[in-house]
Amino acid sequence: MIKRMAIILFVCALTFLFLMSCKPKAKTTPTPPPPAKEQPKVEKVEEAPAVKKPELSEEEIFMSKSLEEINLESPLKMIHFDYDRYEIREDAKPVLETDSTWLRKYPSIKVLIEGHCDERGTEEYNLALGEKRARSTMDYLTSLGISPDRMKIISYGKSQPLDTGATEMAWQKNRRAQFLIIEK
Amino acid sequence: MKRAKMKKTLLLSTLLLSTCVFLFPQQEIYLTLKEGVPAISMALPDFIAHSPSPGAKEAAEIIHQVISDDLTYSRIFELLPKKYYDYIRPLDPKNIKFKDWESIQASILLAGEISDGEGENIIFEGKLYDVKGQRFIFGKRYQATRNLYRLAAHRMADEIVKVLSGEKPIFTTKIVFVSDRDGNDELYMMDYDGQNQTRLTFNKTRDYMPAWSADGKRIAFTSYKKLGEAGLYLLDLEAGKISPVSTRGTNFSPSFSPDGKNLAFCSSMDGNSEIYVAAADGKNIKRLTFNEKVDTAPSWSPTNREIAFVSDRSGSPQIYIMDAEGSNVRRVSFGGTYHDSPAWSPTGDRIVYVSRVENIFDLYILNLRTNQITKLTESNARNESPGWSPDGRHIVFTSNLDGSLQIYSIDYDATNLRRLTSKGSNKLPDWSD
Repeated sequence: MIKRMAIILFVCALTFLFLMSCKPKAKTTPTPPPPAKEQPKVEKVEEAPAVKKPELSEEEIFMSKSLEEINLESPLKMIHFDYDRYEIREDAKPVLETDSTWLRKYPSIKVLIEGHCDERGTEEYNLALGEKRARSTMDYLTSLGISPDRMKIISYGKSQPLDTGATEMAWQKNRRAQFLIIEK
Repeated sequence: MKRAKMKKTLLLSTLLLSTCVFLFPQQEIYLTLKEGVPAISMALPDFIAHSPSPGAKEAAEIIHQVISDDLTYSRIFELLPKKYYDYIRPLDPKNIKFKDWESIQASILLAGEISDGEGENIIFEGKLYDVKGQRFIFGKRYQATRNLYRLAAHRMADEIVKVLSGEKPIFTTKIVFVSDRDGNDELYMMDYDGQNQTRLTFNKTRDYMPAWSADGKRIAFTSYKKLGEAGLYLLDLEAGKISPVSTRGTNFSPSFSPDGKNLAFCSSMDGNSEIYVAAADGKNIKRLTFNEKVDTAPSWSPTNREIAFVSDRSGSPQIYIMDAEGSNVRRVSFGGTYHDSPAWSPTGDRIVYVSRVENIFDLYILNLRTNQITKLTESNARNESPGWSPDGRHIVFTSNLDGSLQIYSIDYDATNLRRLTSKGSNKLPDWSD
């Protein structure tokens, strides 16, 4: 390929030279005017019209993100439960209030509430308990004015611990209801 | 693709093994076997390979070993120590010298012979003798390729137990379980002795809590394969097909009735964890419990007329029994604050369950006749998800006894503990019928 191009170029050059040499040695009478000095064109520099991005509202920025991105930011905070219990604890209520404010701000959002348990329960009972935790979370959010149509619940029992340790700290971490945004 | 292949192999193996025949008409000889009755002493001398091929020798060894392990595990038989065979003349299958065998205290003798079959096959022939009665009891002949030696041996052991004890043999039964060895929780199955561990489901998300149908052809299980659903599904092993039973809410804890007609399970489809029952094909779902508290973990009685389950209606999880229609609920566990996962024994008189004390989970057996409770496991660990072998002599369960969660089996009298799995973490076993 390169070889062929080189040949073509060579042939071109030869032709050019040939033509040049064929050009009658000008009877150049009037010396050609000196080539106009290449004057730099003066361009009026204006301040670049900053590409004015349309002002995006916080909502619009939010909606432009993918579900994965939104979930990574975990805008809805999880709540924790007492051992063997599924009632909403006092310290969880303000968390759910903040969550409900956020849910009201983005009314098209739908969430999956996942109930989780620590390892100190049997597989079966923990699935039922996780379900209860997810449901009481949903009920509390409903009482704060969030439509139940926007919420789905599921239980994972003890199958998805956040901390696999066998300490009170780990167990407390694992007894939780957390949110997954599934629709926006 | 893979499943189709597996199906083919299964079919083939069935065909091959079905070529086995009773050599002589079967006679009904039942030896009464009861708890506390000493095991039958049995002579199981090395099998004789009639072919010089190394394959025949290997087959003789494998099949002898498997039958020996099976019969020992049953505890119906006590195999004579190998050295006893040195005291008498070697076994001559054509001329059984009963007096010899009697002299070393054998009640039963199994004589096994291996010869070359068609192609890659070997032929295994086993003949069972009543030493005292000086007579032939029955014989069977199996033709098998190398990968089926174990199955042929299990079949022979099954026949021996069936003929001699009248009990339901367990050596060809399977255990289905959940393992994360390939990344996430999926269903697997293995032989009753932990061999042949095979993967059954291939989802990207969790599959959970499997239960065998009575005929062993289907497995009910929970799958999280659809986002936001913990659905109950039926896996048809022959067709390799999965069909949904119930997908609304969280659905779990399936249990087939022993007659194969019904499938009980737990679901939150109506808002709370309740027990439902469907026809065995998953259709025609009916609700059995109506209680704002948790109702879960159904297990059928062998008569199909009652269901044991767990409810925290009293404030803590306890075991109850109800009629199969949902009426006549009565509590059967007392004392303690956390009882769960009842499994009704196939003999009908026992329920094994999990009890939590502090953070220790142990298995207990409630004798329904005497109301006595016996502790089955004693370990500083979590022992969970018990299930019975179909003969009611063994219990399979999950434990973190050795650190990670693994599947173990133990006998109903707390002896004979053995670990069946080791790869990844393994849980939620269910023993086929």
